[in-house]
Amino acid sequence: MNPLCSPRDHTLSRRAFLGGGLGLLASPLFAEAMKQRDKQVLFVWLDGGMSQLETWDPKPNTEFGGPFRSIPTSVPGIHFGELMPKLAKQMHKLCVVRSMSTKDNAHSSGVDRIQRGDPKNRGVPYPHFGAGVAKLLGPGTSGLPPYVWIKPGSGGFRAEDAGFLGPKYGSLAFGDGKPPDNLLRHPDISAEQDAARNELRQMLDQRFAKQREKRVVEANASVFDMAEKLMARADIFDTSKLPERDRDRYGRHDLGQHMLVARQMLEAGVRFVKVTSYGWDTHGDHFNSQTTMVPKFDQAFSAMLEDLESSGLLKTTLVICLSEFGRTPRINGHVGRDHWPEAWSIAMAGHGVKHGMVVGETNERGTEVKSQPFDIGAAFHTWYQALGIDSHKVEFDNAGQPLPIAHDDMLPIKEALA
Amino acid sequence: MRQTWTFVIFGAFSVLLLTGSALSAEALAQKIDAVLFAKPPSQAEDAEFLRRVWFDFDGGIPTADEARAFLADKTADKRTKLIDKLISAPRFAVRMADAFHVMLMERRGDNEAWKAWLVESFKTNKPWDAMVREMLAPDFLDEKQRGAGYFITRRLEKVGQQDTDYPGLTRDVGRMFMGIDLQCCQCHRHLSVSDYKQIDFSGLYSVFQNLKLQPADDKHKTPWLSEGLIAAKYEFVSVLTDKKAQTAPRIPFGEEVMIPVSTGDDAWLVKPDRKTKEVGQPKFSPLREIAQRVPAPENALFAKNIANRVWFLFIGKGIVEPLDLHHTENPPAHPELLDLLAKELAAHHFDLRWLIREIALTQTYQRSGAHQRHLTAEQQLRAFLIATVERERLEKNPKPDVKVDALKYNLADFEKAFAAALANPAKEPELAANPSLRSALFLRNSDHVQWALKPRTGNLIDRLARQTDPVEDLYLTVLTRLPDAEEKAQLKSWIAAHADDKSKALGDFAWALLSSTEFFVNH
Repeated sequence: MNPLCSPRDHTLSRRAFLGGGLGLLASPLFAEAMKQRDKQVLFVWLDGGMSQLETWDPKPNTEFGGPFRSIPTSVPGIHFGELMPKLAKQMHKLCVVRSMSTKDNAHSSGVDRIQRGDPKNRGVPYPHFGAGVAKLLGPGTSGLPPYVWIKPGSGGFRAEDAGFLGPKYGSLAFGDGKPPDNLLRHPDISAEQDAARNELRQMLDQRFAKQREKRVVEANASVFDMAEKLMARADIFDTSKLPERDRDRYGRHDLGQHMLVARQMLEAGVRFVKVTSYGWDTHGDHFNSQTTMVPKFDQAFSAMLEDLESSGLLKTTLVICLSEFGRTPRINGHVGRDHWPEAWSIAMAGHGVKHGMVVGETNERGTEVKSQPFDIGAAFHTWYQALGIDSHKVEFDNAGQPLPIAHDDMLPIKEALA
Repeated sequence: MRQTWTFVIFGAFSVLLLTGSALSAEALAQKIDAVLFAKPPSQAEDAEFLRRVWFDFDGGIPTADEARAFLADKTADKRTKLIDKLISAPRFAVRMADAFHVMLMERRGDNEAWKAWLVESFKTNKPWDAMVREMLAPDFLDEKQRGAGYFITRRLEKVGQQDTDYPGLTRDVGRMFMGIDLQCCQCHRHLSVSDYKQIDFSGLYSVFQNLKLQPADDKHKTPWLSEGLIAAKYEFVSVLTDKKAQTAPRIPFGEEVMIPVSTGDDAWLVKPDRKTKEVGQPKFSPLREIAQRVPAPENALFAKNIANRVWFLFIGKGIVEPLDLHHTENPPAHPELLDLLAKELAAHHFDLRWLIREIALTQTYQRSGAHQRHLTAEQQLRAFLIATVERERLEKNPKPDVKVDALKYNLADFEKAFAAALANPAKEPELAANPSLRSALFLRNSDHVQWALKPRTGNLIDRLARQTDPVEDLYLTVLTRLPDAEEKAQLKSWIAAHADDKSKALGDFAWALLSSTEFFVNH
């Protein structure tokens, strides 16, 4: 990490100022706390494939450009699609790579390939990026699970995300942004009673461990400890107590409210938070659906960037937003766009990446990458390096077999690294 | 006098002879011990043995009364008697069905016909080779057999946009019935296991990719399988060498099945007909061929796999591990033992009940400090309900009513809750105790656990609260053992410290015992 502050680091946002953040931000104690703070990751996944043409890489008035205009952003010369007015104002925080060119155009394999960084086939499943970060950076000091996934639908623990790293590094999924079942203390049990009987359980276990293998008792102790820590932080799931204004700013829709839970998680110190939004696979009636979907994303993601900046967390948090691929420039017979891994965009912000810049470009019609194309392996190198991990030297250990953490034939996107 | 003595001595000798002949019927148990131990291992205490055999054979734990009776029994052969009692009880078939369901289906879902087929198979002690034949090529028109078809039909259900998982089915047939995981051989020879070749996967795959899942209809009460016509060998290419090769249907390491030369109408038993939607039935059924050849005595891995899996279930550790990685570079921990079990099992016509009884009679099984076995969610539920003395109430409750405390739940509610909290995620082998955040939160906060620990007429807490000194009953009921002095004192002081509400104090103490590591283990 660059130890020197950029001028922007000294700019106080209006929100932080009004929110009484000035005193806090100015205090040397806070500065010290920021330095000590662990690095974190926010990973926003738009499942199904977001259209680069309606968002990060508009091509208005061209053959495949579609009906929307483009608008200027806070960085002169850079334009976004008109459905993202809020994010356009945040461009100075973002780093957009418009030259992604990946290989798999099927959802079933693409989702997996992109999230695992498409390493060379080693005959073992590679960990998702979140599991890799959980392994390499550890759970941090929050005591919370290192890899949390907020998503619509069902929740639960997803051991398969961890691949060969083993179930320990799997994701803990919070379905519909809700806490796991049975998180709250039973209403018939008082806090005192709950603590007392849990202490008794620990005593009984420690006694049992003296006669038996310790391993099982330890495994049990660790899940009860994790349960205890999550129970103590049940508040981070409770968006109902947040100011109405925050809930409105993020948007009263799944993605907005899930993003808000994600903010709580990051503030509570969770190492890696993934937020998923489904339904981006718009093969038909693409443009109408964009007018409802993209603004929701615009609202939620820009509110998150604002808040991460004003709390100072953006300095230590790497923010990534992507899909398994982009969408075809050619508009199909159902007024839709299909799968297009050949030329698409990802957006980044925060720790370790440059701000206010675009890397790479596509041709005029948006069909191909004109500059140097980057496969997902290059993005993995970039992200690991942004987190201070030397992605060429550091290796995973697969039961004694050293394996590279990112595709060993690829290099990071240097232009994007701060 | 002398004569009398001779008679007595002769009599004793004949008794010995008789015992000897009885023992020779149990020879496998002795042979097992002889392979594993130069001198007998120290034997488990009665209480430890009791809990172990109960979990393994009944699927739950004994009640306090059953435990007391066994501990008080002074006869020498009480362990053998208990094994024989449990193995012939109806619960044994239910417990085996649970163990094999979890092993074979790996939490892919539940199915009534499948469960019923498993229970019936174990109840009638159907030989394992017959079971496997029925699973691989079931007669879907036979009410007694069609449940077996779930093994394949469930695996061929389409999930989302993914292709029908024929490779997954092929892999699982190898894993479950021959103890070999051929997954990597779908695209090339196995890179780390030189025994496994691409042809071993392809020979099986050619049979399974020829199946089509058909929905239930008037004739078939369950989804069923139709087979296509196989007229030529299956061609495959290695992604490593680009080399092409071909194979007829073939079980791994076996001989190719000859594909009959027949064309046109000749090839069909029932011709396909688009108009009547008849899918057709070819004369040559590769599936039936495979279903004969996998569970055959000549297929050495078939016997070794099931011997190893049964050993794993009852001893807590496989002779070959992982269970699905038998190959020459991964030799068994005790090659002699695996050979012995496999040969004797084949010679006994794959009689699993016989094998299980022999294993249970060994000193190996009955030794102290045995390996810990995984408990299924079903076993944990049964143990929990016996310990809290709530099983009968739940079983007898046909219609739950949330407004009446005693009728709040029935057994199905508990089965669902326990499976959700304690079972493994789908498609993973469930082999080791796997505590999770989910299970910890369930034990700590769920209403189900809380409900069972409230005093209610006839349940554990109600019963204990009526006793002046409940410690022995509590430990026997929950942990199937007597408390030691320290534990007695601990409960006494706990109750004294929470004297304002004895039921609550007992409920909390019982909760701590039920949530402790000791409760949900089977050594």
